[in-house]
Amino acid sequence: MRINRREFIQISGAAAAGLALSSCAGKGGMFSPARDQAKMLQIQDAKETTTICPYCAVGCGAIVHTAKTGDKRAINIEGDPGHVINRGTLCSKGAALRQLSENSERITQPLYRAPYAKEWKKVSWDWALTEIAKRVKTTRDATFEARNAKGQVVNRTMGIASVGSAALDNEECWTYQALMRAIGVVYIEHQARI
Amino acid sequence: MSKSFFVDTTLCTACRGCQVACKQWHDLPAEKTENRGTYQNPADLSFDTYKLVRMREEVIGGQLRWLFFPDQCRHCLEAPCLETAGDPAAIYYDEPSGAVIYTAATKNLDAAEIIESCPYNIPRKAADGTLAKCDMCYDRVAAGMQPACVKTCPTGAMNFGERAEMLDLAQKRLAVIKRTHREAMLLDPDDIRVVFMVAYKPGLYHDHAVASNTGSGISRQVALRRMLRPLKNLVSQLA
Amino acid sequence: MTNHWIDIKNSDCILIMGSNAAENHPISFKYVSEAQQNGAKLISVDPRFTRTSARADFYAPMRSGTDIAILGGMIKYIIDNKLYNKEYIAAYTNAPFIVGTDYSFEDGLFAGYNQQGKKYDKRKWAFEMDANGVPKMDRSLAHPRCVFQILKKHFSRYNVALVSQISGTPQADLKKIYQTYAATGARGRAGTIMYAMGWTQHTVGTQNIRTMAIIQLLLGNMGVAGGGVNALRGESNVQGSTDHCLLWHIWPGYLKTPRASNFSLAAYNQKWTPKSNDPISANWWQNYPKYSISLLKSFFGDNAVPKNDYGYDWLPKVDDGKHYSWLDLFDEMYRGTFAGFFAWGQNPACSGAHAGKTRAAMKNLDWMVNVNIFDNETGSFWRGPGVDPAQIKTEVFFLPAAVSFEKEGSITNSGRWMQWRYQGPKPLGKSLPDGQIIMELGNKIKAQYKDGGTFPEPIRNLKWDYLTKGEYDPHAVAKEINGYFLKDVTIKGTVYKKGTLVPSFGSLQADGSTSSGNWLYCNSYTEKGNMAARRSTKDAPNNIGLYPEFSWCWPVNRRIIYNRASVDLQGQPWDKAQWVIKWDGAKWSGGDVPDGGWPPLGSLENPNPKSKHAFIMRKHGHGQIFGPGRADGPLPEHYEPMECPVERNFMSSTYTNPTAAVYGSKADVYKTCDPRYPFVGTTYRVVEHWQTGVMTRHQPWLMEMQPQVFVEMSEELAALKGIKNGERVLATSARGQLECTAIVTKRLRPLKVAGKLGTEVHQVGFPWCYGWQTPAGGKEESANLLTPSTGDPNTRIPETKAFMVNIQKI
Repeated sequence: MRINRREFIQISGAAAAGLALSSCAGKGGMFSPARDQAKMLQIQDAKETTTICPYCAVGCGAIVHTAKTGDKRAINIEGDPGHVINRGTLCSKGAALRQLSENSERITQPLYRAPYAKEWKKVSWDWALTEIAKRVKTTRDATFEARNAKGQVVNRTMGIASVGSAALDNEECWTYQALMRAIGVVYIEHQARI
Repeated sequence: MSKSFFVDTTLCTACRGCQVACKQWHDLPAEKTENRGTYQNPADLSFDTYKLVRMREEVIGGQLRWLFFPDQCRHCLEAPCLETAGDPAAIYYDEPSGAVIYTAATKNLDAAEIIESCPYNIPRKAADGTLAKCDMCYDRVAAGMQPACVKTCPTGAMNFGERAEMLDLAQKRLAVIKRTHREAMLLDPDDIRVVFMVAYKPGLYHDHAVASNTGSGISRQVALRRMLRPLKNLVSQLA
Repeated sequence: MTNHWIDIKNSDCILIMGSNAAENHPISFKYVSEAQQNGAKLISVDPRFTRTSARADFYAPMRSGTDIAILGGMIKYIIDNKLYNKEYIAAYTNAPFIVGTDYSFEDGLFAGYNQQGKKYDKRKWAFEMDANGVPKMDRSLAHPRCVFQILKKHFSRYNVALVSQISGTPQADLKKIYQTYAATGARGRAGTIMYAMGWTQHTVGTQNIRTMAIIQLLLGNMGVAGGGVNALRGESNVQGSTDHCLLWHIWPGYLKTPRASNFSLAAYNQKWTPKSNDPISANWWQNYPKYSISLLKSFFGDNAVPKNDYGYDWLPKVDDGKHYSWLDLFDEMYRGTFAGFFAWGQNPACSGAHAGKTRAAMKNLDWMVNVNIFDNETGSFWRGPGVDPAQIKTEVFFLPAAVSFEKEGSITNSGRWMQWRYQGPKPLGKSLPDGQIIMELGNKIKAQYKDGGTFPEPIRNLKWDYLTKGEYDPHAVAKEINGYFLKDVTIKGTVYKKGTLVPSFGSLQADGSTSSGNWLYCNSYTEKGNMAARRSTKDAPNNIGLYPEFSWCWPVNRRIIYNRASVDLQGQPWDKAQWVIKWDGAKWSGGDVPDGGWPPLGSLENPNPKSKHAFIMRKHGHGQIFGPGRADGPLPEHYEPMECPVERNFMSSTYTNPTAAVYGSKADVYKTCDPRYPFVGTTYRVVEHWQTGVMTRHQPWLMEMQPQVFVEMSEELAALKGIKNGERVLATSARGQLECTAIVTKRLRPLKVAGKLGTEVHQVGFPWCYGWQTPAGGKEESANLLTPSTGDPNTRIPETKAFMVNIQKI
């Protein structure tokens, strides 16, 4: 069941009307505002998608405007008026959502820190995942317990622990726990415990 | 189609969604701040901060109250700043919302004079002298949307709509709050488009919660005189 | 939450205690405000006057860690003044159950305590059974050993004077809280509790919540609109991640992780499937084998067959009686047990109690995988304050994750609503959705075991077909979670074809003919489509804000759980205006999905044999006022926090929770009633940041509002220590120290409490949203450097809400 795009016209329909305003407010440049006000024009041409806020568990809806041209990044995020819980409203964290994705401090490539090294180095995904898989195997095979001290079948590895995560989507949670349990990890924990 | 805000401070939780939504819509940069022993930050309005939730702790009638005041331009019906500027290319009324809009041409004004003229101490200037303040999100309003701060407000503290409707809502809420808070009042409802309701004496919330004529020296008579100036200018330009 | 966010508007009295909803769940105040405008009262009880308190009709201060004393006093008030709903508790709760003669309670200890093992023998708390094996009951509640009478006696000690002496809450305030809240015991009135970590993060965390649950049962507030026990969950998908059981002790859908003694699938199902001999107890968990076997089919697909116990032995078992929880995990890491560690969307270097111990523990790892949006104090622990990278052997892999709106999938909010979200921009740079990382890592690990390795079966046989054209496909996983018919199945005359999605968990089978990754989510993605993506804004006919076709909620889209208790024995709602379900003589109609479609009980003496008791998830079908399953007692009892400012427990000579989790490494130190740490400390969040701040400390708009870690203290304490508002000060505990900015405020005030450190107790509070890495400079550190690694015996959640500190000028 894909989202019905007509549900989003609250913003884009409005944006089209805003366009008319902007052009008349310009009045030959004499009335150019103290600051650039291109947002209305930008969102009119943007892709609109709904999302649910990633912070607290109220589960507020937000609308993300993503540029269809240029760098194709998020250009505006605000509350989703069609969402029955928040009805378009958002708190300060929700209102700031765009700075979460559009942030120069994000890490955009896998990094590796070697033993005793002082720095990270950039690595490829393929290398990183292959090396992690090797370490999982080495550790698992070295610490695997088929039976516990009482001789009961336990089939587990005691050499690996994992924490995570309420930050994952449901479907990611499910695959994550399936993988960890298949590896034999018993120390599986996450934010619900803290 | 004249617009107004009704700001019901009795419903404000100081979540500061409004403060950020304003920056988000206007792409305003963050200021470098430090904790000064209060949650309120930035310390004041600025060229980069049009909306600021002011916070004060007051003991009123033996009870502690944490007072929140989401400060912003009041969009005066007869704006002293506009009258003082006398230059519609710099400060003008947006029709039909009634918003008082500052343009890039404010750079050519006497900033100190404009700031001093404001009974609510709102306008702030950039290093180059350009002035800025809340613009009522007039681009959104013209498009039939609510200002960003109003849209994001979860509790109904921030309201926006036709002026008559807002004044009606304000009177209704005042009647309710009056039952428990005898000092509750609307602040300058006849003169401005951003009508606050407070439950206690307005000065407890913020020094400039209500219009102050003492600081600016602007009385209504002066304002009227100044209002004539742009007309004169306009006439001379036409001639 | 038993109820949901919008439902708060239906409440007549909202108690916010153990949470600070205005700051940490801000949009909840949309509905709190709406309720208040409709006449509801909002009560805020908190050590600190918060933004929630600012909007409350009534605020009362308290000493952190004394919630059971305060709420125990409320139970006494309700019973003394007969404000409970007697018909409700006699019919729907275990108040009439007769407790066996072995039960006793004396001087803070329940029967069966074993000093050496610090454990109870819970068999001493068992109910008396009749000849048929059904609990004996006295529906008149008069039997001296019935739960109601035991409850009454137990809390008779919690008089207002004593409660005030313990909690520091003035007696007048206590009376006002009790009076206001207990008024919701009247029929047609509803009271709700909004709590969060302020209740869970104590050595008595579970019993804090039990105390309130007892109050809600007494007042008839469970199952009704505007009522319930509402845990305000703090992360967008902490509900969903808990439902899918990213926890050591449970499998998806709250099934048990097998113990080593569960030597076969049959033994496992036998052990964990409860049996009730009461013909009108639904005892829903009797379906356990259907859910466990369907789960194994989802884990291992066609490889799971009866001959191999559906792959049961391929999954790891835990030792009976041993804990593997967060505190235990980091204790083991500190002792050097692990070579490898994954931190997935987490920052334990700042988020866990006793961050100093956690950070030291990480040095023992050979390798760490840190998956996050930003680098954090965990992934960079090797270059943290006072750490010389040249001494740290640990290899660290940082894997950059996409943000939530750069991918597609669902999350489940605190009200159990599963909501689908969509991709806006693509993942930035080479960052990837977590799902993609998990799938690719799984494939790499499978490749490692292609040609051998130790016990490769679970890895090789794991069903792992959730990539579509090389890309992680959340729809494929969502369907697997819902579950499929694996062969043609006929149920009550309807044929369900092989390969179609199971309509709801009522259709799951224990014979391997169905799969379901999580039975609770069976019904979320069916042949009718993706239920979580629904967006209808039409309310149900009862018009109480259920919005049944907006998203989807578990179980089976029931928006208010235990709703069979919202009606009387004839099926007519206690509240005629804001009703949840209603029996029209033939069926339940017009409201929420009922907790089972059976008819109402009719009467207690001769119940309709087609009916079922209201609390269908409980073995005996009744809400548990007496809870014999808990580790620390069947009834709540006040104990002091492990670190506290009073030299004794004024309720009994049992000072602290006798079963609390404590750890014995050299890092685990506790200093109670120690003049070097004279002030009560607590931790919390602020609206402007989130958790340890990994996601928010990099955002300029949020940092502008809350740039630095702070400590809030009263004007009196500041005067005592010569501290001025806005100054930097040093906070110390037995475990660590924290430099922070002083906020001197009227919102905290000294409390009058009888104790060795003086008659006045000062409390201070710290946000735990900071860490050395951001902002630059390393000065804004985690408040968890101060907190203790001790925890609740049931959940083992750490006691980060009440500990002892000192504050001094720098």
